[in-house]
Amino acid sequence: MEVFVALTISVLFAIGVFQLLRRNLIRSAIGMAIVSNAINLFLLAAGAYRGEVAAYANQVGQRSDALPQALILTAIVISMGGFAVVLSMLYVLSVRYKTSDSDEVKGLTH
Amino acid sequence: MTSSSLVILPIIIPLTAAAVAVLLRNHRRAQAAWAFGAMVASFICSSVLLWVVTSSGAPVVFQVGGWPAPAGISLVGDRLSALMAVMCQLVLVGGFLYALGCRDQCAQYPAFYPLFLMLAVGLTGAMLTGDLFNLFVFAELLVFAGAALTAMSDDKFGTEAAYKYFYISFVASIALLLASGSLYVSYGTLNIADLARRIAADPSPPLALPAMALLMIFFMVKGAVMPFHFWQPDFHTAAPTPVHAVLSSVVVKLGIYGFLRMTTLLFVEQAEIIRAVLVVVGAVGVWFGGLGAVGTYDAKRMLAYSTLGQLGFILVAIGWGTPLALAAAIVYAFNHSLLKAAMLMLAGSVASHAPVKTAAFAAITGLGKKLPWAGVLFLLGGMGLAGIPPLNGFIGKLMLFRSGVEAQAYLPLAAIGLAGIVTLVYVIRAFQRIWWAPLPEGVKPKPYGDRLIAPALLIALSLGLGIWAEPLVSLAEATVAWMSRPELYVRAVLGG
Repeated sequence: MEVFVALTISVLFAIGVFQLLRRNLIRSAIGMAIVSNAINLFLLAAGAYRGEVAAYANQVGQRSDALPQALILTAIVISMGGFAVVLSMLYVLSVRYKTSDSDEVKGLTH
Repeated sequence: MTSSSLVILPIIIPLTAAAVAVLLRNHRRAQAAWAFGAMVASFICSSVLLWVVTSSGAPVVFQVGGWPAPAGISLVGDRLSALMAVMCQLVLVGGFLYALGCRDQCAQYPAFYPLFLMLAVGLTGAMLTGDLFNLFVFAELLVFAGAALTAMSDDKFGTEAAYKYFYISFVASIALLLASGSLYVSYGTLNIADLARRIAADPSPPLALPAMALLMIFFMVKGAVMPFHFWQPDFHTAAPTPVHAVLSSVVVKLGIYGFLRMTTLLFVEQAEIIRAVLVVVGAVGVWFGGLGAVGTYDAKRMLAYSTLGQLGFILVAIGWGTPLALAAAIVYAFNHSLLKAAMLMLAGSVASHAPVKTAAFAAITGLGKKLPWAGVLFLLGGMGLAGIPPLNGFIGKLMLFRSGVEAQAYLPLAAIGLAGIVTLVYVIRAFQRIWWAPLPEGVKPKPYGDRLIAPALLIALSLGLGIWAEPLVSLAEATVAWMSRPELYVRAVLGG
C-alpha cells in the first residue's frame, strides 16, 4: 500500500508539474489542480508519525493521526477557491487576448 | 477581555469590518469611512499590543479556542511580530488614507475596500501567527486579496499581472505545504515554538533539511528575493496605487520576517547555511534591483525594482546575523516601508495628473511643474531611500554599514556600498524628468489628482524618525536581544 501511494503521489506530481509548465494557460491551470491533489495525498501520508499509520492503511486496531486530515480539508477548500479565482482570471484573459497561449499574453513586457 | 486577546484584535477587527463593508456596498462613502475607521482602530490595537509587549517584556500569547499550545493554534505577539504588525498596519492606514482621496476608478468598486481589508487580515495574521499551517492560510488570504485587487486595477494589464502573481504564489504555497508535511512527519507538530524546541533537540530526521529549503523558497517568493523576483515589477506596477504602496513596502516584508524567524527561532543550529545563502542573494539583489531601476521607463516600475534592491540590503544584514546587523535589518525594514509607500503614492499622484493615466516617464515628464509640494516630498523620500541625512534611511544605512565593518564582511560591504550610489542615480533621474524637465507642447495636465495627505504624513514620520531615531533604534535593539533567546519564546508559547 505504501509503495502504491508513494507511486501515486509521484506520478501526480510529475503530471501536474509537466502541465504547470505548458504554454497553454488552461493546461497550466489544470496542472495547478493536479499538483494540489498530489500535495493533499502527501499530507495524508504525513499522518504516519511514530507508531501511527496513515489513514489509507486501513488496518484493524491501528490508529491514524487526525490532524493531517484536518489540514487536507483546509487545503482542499483553499485550493478550490484558488482554482475559481484562476479560472475567472483566465476567462478575462481569453476575452482580452483572444488566445490561451501564454507567449501571446505579453502586455507587460516591453 | 484579557490582555491575551489583544493579539487577536488586529486580525479580527479588519476581518469583521470586511464582512460589514460588503453589506455597505451600496453606500460608497459610508463603506469607505467604515473601512478606514476599522483600519485605524486595528492599528491602535496593534500599537497597544506593541506597547504592552515592550513594557512587560513578555510576549502576549492567545490560544485560539482555549486549546493549549501544541494541540491548538496559537497567535503570538512577541517583540518582533508586534513590531512587524505595527509597521504593516501603519502603512496600511496610509494606503487606506490614500485610497480615500484617490481618483482611480477601481477605488469606487464595491469590492475594493472589503478586499483591501482582507489584505490587511492576511498580512497581519501571517505576522502574528505561531502555527505553520495557519501561516499558509493567512498567506493564501493575502494572495487572493492581492490578486483580486490587482486584477480589477485601472491598468488594462492588471489581470495579466494578477495571473502571474497567482501562479508564482501557487508555487510558493506548494513549497510551504510540502515543508509543513515534511516537518509534521518528522516532529509531529506544526506549532512554531514546539517545532523550534524539537528541531533544536534533534535535527537528524531526513526531511528536516529539505523542509528548511522549502520554507526558504516560500519566504523568498513572498519577499521577491533574487531568483524568485521576476513577477514583482510586473505585478506591483499594474496594481492600483494605494494597493501598490502597500504591496511594495510591507507585503514583501513577510519574507524578511520569515527569514528573521527562521534564523533566530526555527533553525538556530542550521542558521549558518541560511545566512550564507542570504548574503549572496542579497548582494546580487541589491545590484540587480538598482540597475533594473535605472533602466526602467516607468516611475512606478522603477520603485518596484528599487524594492528588490532595498530588500537586498536587509537580506545581507540578516545574513551577517550579528546582533547589530539584525537590529539594522529591523530598522532598515521599518524605514523602507514608510519611505517606499510614500514614494509610490507620490509617483501615483503625479501619474493621476497625466492626461492618460500611466506612470511612464514619457507621459509624466514635466508634470511636476504644477505640483511643487509633491516634488519636495519626492526629493525628501528619495534622499531617505538613498540614505542621506536627515531622513531615517540614513540611520538604517549607518547601522547596516557599521555592522558590516564589525562583522568584517568587507566584500559584501563593498558590493552593497557601491550599489547605494545607484539608488541616488535612479531617484535623481526620476526627479529631474518629472520636476525639472519642461512640460512638452500640447500636454494638458488634469487639474485634479490624488490627494497628498497620506504621503505627506509618511514622509513627516520618516523625517521625525530620522531626527529622533533613538526610540526605533532602541526598540530594534531590545527586539534583537529578545530574539537571541529563542528558549524564552518557546517557554512563553508552550507554558511551563
